[in-house]
Amino acid sequence: MKFLISLAFKNLTRYKRRTLITASAIAFGLMMYIFVDSMLKGAEYESVRNLKWYETASARILNEEYWENRFQKPLDLSISNPDRILSRLDAEKITATKRISFGGDLILNKEDFGEEGNLPVSVFAIDTERDFDVFEFGDTLMSGRFLEPGEDAVVLGSWMAEDIGAEVGYWITIVARGNGGFYEAMDLEIVGILNCPNPNVNRTLVMMPFDTADDYLAMDGAATEINIKLPVNADVDSEVVRIQNMLNGDSLTVMGWETMAKDFLALAEAKRGGTGMILFLIFIIAAVGISNTMLMAIFERIRELGMMRSLGMADNKIRLAFMIEAAGIGIVGSLIGLVLGIGADFFIVEKGIDFTSIMRDMDMGYRIQGVFRGEWNPMTMVKAFIAGIVISSLVAYFPTKRALKMDIPSCLRHQ
Amino acid sequence: MIKVENVVRNYHAGETVVKALRGVSLEIGKGEFLSIAGPSGSGKTTLLNLIGCIDEIDGGEILIKDEKISTMGKKEKTNFRRINLGFVFQTYNLIPVLTAYENVSFVLSLLNLSEKEIQERTMAILKEVGLEGMENRRPSRLSGGQQQRVAIARALVKNPEIVLADEPTANLDSDTGKEILELMKEMNRKHNTTFIFSTHDKMVMEYASRLVMLHDGQILSDEKR
Repeated sequence: MKFLISLAFKNLTRYKRRTLITASAIAFGLMMYIFVDSMLKGAEYESVRNLKWYETASARILNEEYWENRFQKPLDLSISNPDRILSRLDAEKITATKRISFGGDLILNKEDFGEEGNLPVSVFAIDTERDFDVFEFGDTLMSGRFLEPGEDAVVLGSWMAEDIGAEVGYWITIVARGNGGFYEAMDLEIVGILNCPNPNVNRTLVMMPFDTADDYLAMDGAATEINIKLPVNADVDSEVVRIQNMLNGDSLTVMGWETMAKDFLALAEAKRGGTGMILFLIFIIAAVGISNTMLMAIFERIRELGMMRSLGMADNKIRLAFMIEAAGIGIVGSLIGLVLGIGADFFIVEKGIDFTSIMRDMDMGYRIQGVFRGEWNPMTMVKAFIAGIVISSLVAYFPTKRALKMDIPSCLRHQ
Repeated sequence: MIKVENVVRNYHAGETVVKALRGVSLEIGKGEFLSIAGPSGSGKTTLLNLIGCIDEIDGGEILIKDEKISTMGKKEKTNFRRINLGFVFQTYNLIPVLTAYENVSFVLSLLNLSEKEIQERTMAILKEVGLEGMENRRPSRLSGGQQQRVAIARALVKNPEIVLADEPTANLDSDTGKEILELMKEMNRKHNTTFIFSTHDKMVMEYASRLVMLHDGQILSDEKR
């Protein structure tokens, strides 16, 4: 074995350039794997955080019929006495806030916006006292101020404001159906513009005070949802069950963020699969490169191979020698790839890549506004390093097998 | 020690059958220094390959130390070669990345000997073939004659009973060729190893103590000297 290892590594130095070219293919594949894995993990981590911080919270209490009809945003399928539930949650030291979510038409007036127009919007009426305890809009204010209770005012997401040409101090009108089906027009002043890191929210955000919406829409104190913030390390599923048990008999349901964000999670999974396929192809290309290098190395050494077989070296030992040699290329490539991967990881973890210009006009599903940051993943590095060596070594098996099919006299005659 | 009994070997080149050996019979005793001679295509290398258990017999039988070659499986043949046979090739076939020492010692590493024994035997045989002090040279830093000496050392280091050499001097100038033949002869005397070598060179034939002439796959003459 010692001889086989020594021979394999000496042979690696025989064709330095070829070894390095093949190793660089492995290195590239490995680096890409580490880099893309880090980027995807980072994007997923940030997306999940931004989802919980700005969209779904950790969990949500809804009227039990609401979720099925959520796209219509029905005000009649509401939580009739949200304050009673909030008190019970407060008693359990669970941070929560009520909201009214409703759809309407946002009407732009000529005076402020230069031309008239309208667009459909989703509006959140928030409890201005408690909402920042659950959602993280606290540090997203770009201009103006936050909402105050009872005022006829809205805050908008910065992309939304940019799209409609809104500025602080402008007035808009929102026409919506109130609880009971009547139409209500609300004249509201834009008092603030928020720059939210979640692009989905930033693109559509219209927020107004809860009590203002309550008046206009005749909600009579009802809310369409109560959003809950759980500690970072909480087991969401068991907390959901616990809160659900608390609410027994109220015709309400509690949903964890994962249930609400099913679409995002499925999309992330699909992206991971797609990227996995691309990385698999990169590895296949690297593997073909190694296989080709080994094929050349083996066929240039056919006579040597014949000599070794003549002298009584068993075929499996010869095969092993070539596999060790290929593993050597794998080690060189994997080491280079690991170093490059760590370098690339360092860049994407510390600096990130700014995709703002792409994300501004395109919805990629990720809840990241612009800068994609990576996540260190030592396990991926270890796995990729081992895979680089194992794959390299395995792909040498087939060309060696082919060469060993030749009879010994043919090997010795080989030119 | 070696009995070749009516051996037939055919090769197929497309639909054409080339009869390389047509019923060759021969007995070779221990310690002989035998040359198989003949023109190109006479079957010299084929006969050597068959005795060396690296080719398959189509008819007849070869017995080495009373063991039938035709009944041996691939693994058995490999084991048999590893223990009993040494090979010297026309083009030396040394491994270029290994030193002279490593090229010789690797044969012993196949026999699972201890490091100490491998070292002692390798150094001893390298000294015998006149390569003392050149152990660490790679083949590229050795002359043709020196490379063939390494190959002879590699063939002899495991003390095989038979050494097969296919045109061992064909790539060497005549003086170096003579030196190699003298060395082989010396080793044959010293170790009582059976040497069987092929050649078409008359000068080389002169060194043989027995000369078997082949022509068109048949023995033309078998002359002891």
